[in-house]
Amino acid sequence: MKDIITIFISAVFINNLVLYYFLGICPFLGVSAKIESALGMGMAVIFVITLANTISWLIYHLVLVKLGITFLTYVVFILSIASLVQIVEMVIKRFSPPLYKSLGIFLPLITVNCAILGSTLFMIAKDYNFIEAVIYGFSGGLGFTLIIVIMASLREDLDYADVPAIFKGAAITLITTGLFALVFMGFSGLISA
Amino acid sequence: MQILSATLVLGLSGFLFALLLAFLSKKLKVEENPLIEKIFNLLPQANCGACGFAGCKAFAKAIVSNPKVFSPCISAGKTVNEEITKALGLKEVLSERSFVAIHHCGAEENEKKKSYVYFGPKTCKGANIIGVFDCAYGCLGLGDCVVVCPVRAITLKDGRIYIDHNICIGCGKCVKSCPRNLFEIVPRSKDLPTYFVACNNPERGANVKNVCRRGCIGCGICTKFKGSPFYLEGNISRIDYSKVMGENVLKEAKEKCPTKCIFNG
Repeated sequence: MKDIITIFISAVFINNLVLYYFLGICPFLGVSAKIESALGMGMAVIFVITLANTISWLIYHLVLVKLGITFLTYVVFILSIASLVQIVEMVIKRFSPPLYKSLGIFLPLITVNCAILGSTLFMIAKDYNFIEAVIYGFSGGLGFTLIIVIMASLREDLDYADVPAIFKGAAITLITTGLFALVFMGFSGLISA
Repeated sequence: MQILSATLVLGLSGFLFALLLAFLSKKLKVEENPLIEKIFNLLPQANCGACGFAGCKAFAKAIVSNPKVFSPCISAGKTVNEEITKALGLKEVLSERSFVAIHHCGAEENEKKKSYVYFGPKTCKGANIIGVFDCAYGCLGLGDCVVVCPVRAITLKDGRIYIDHNICIGCGKCVKSCPRNLFEIVPRSKDLPTYFVACNNPERGANVKNVCRRGCIGCGICTKFKGSPFYLEGNISRIDYSKVMGENVLKEAKEKCPTKCIFNG
């Protein structure tokens, strides 16, 4: 239990996918202009990342390790994640149109989101058991959502600020992200691991 | 041995996923109105968004569910728009660009009273927080709309917004950009310039006069001509664009307006 809480807090705050590993920067910058769409993207990421970690753990331990072909990890993971997202998209489109409307456009976008692949690979590298892997995926997604929503609310207010012309747009967003990452480094004393 | 199992695992999993996807895409296919697909295929699929919808697919969906919102696709040529009109079952081929934007504030910077000198961010969105002018409804004159206009039909001169109706495509982006909701998309008048009342202040005449020399005081002179499309909405005059308009009436109303706040684009 203690391990799981440690994993959760570490994945959300300390080893945050965006701010610590710099993964998923593209959707982080692309979809953080409005809180609403940022939240949609976040939800889609939580959903897919949890599912991807579950499936990937099963594939890795039940197939790849048994046959001794762990060098295929990257290819097989990408393959399974891409197919998984497609399937999820179809299922949602069929059974829940409102959910599709809010998540729909983000789902294809995160097929190749490196945060997803990153999370599955870290989960393997850290040698987690099944439960830990699922929790790790979920909390990784939650961390991503937290950051992207905070960023979106910051960027909405940035519209009012008098930003020098050369810093407008992506530049000021990246600077803000950098400051943000520094702030989150402060959490690293929370857990010594 | 290893090379065999590797090939098998990768090939097999690829094959299985492909099979599953093919099966599910047939099984879970969502029935859409075939007309949407048909119109979508007619469209240029440039996803320019000039129609005001999020891409060609959204545009096709919107006009199929409600043909009334159909205004010709700007990227497509005349023939394509005629075909779409036919597919929708509309009789009249709508003239190209049948909507224009109008701006409900005609006061130049020195015609409206300033509350104070504003040094904040040079955007309307920012200035709207504190006001700048005494009139709480008027244009802030910092040109958020100028930036968003995809065809550059909007210009800012002496603190007043001018829309070139020859260029305007009626996409509605300016409507969303204005923090004071001064823009309106109206049907383009046929064979004559589109007239509009350039004031958005709903207060009574005396109060309007206190803050602006140009504002509509709600005197109602423009509504009194025979066949006048003007009507009073509270204390502001508005034009009913569904009425048939004679140019003489509009011209006369424009001349007789005591504060000269009727314009044509």
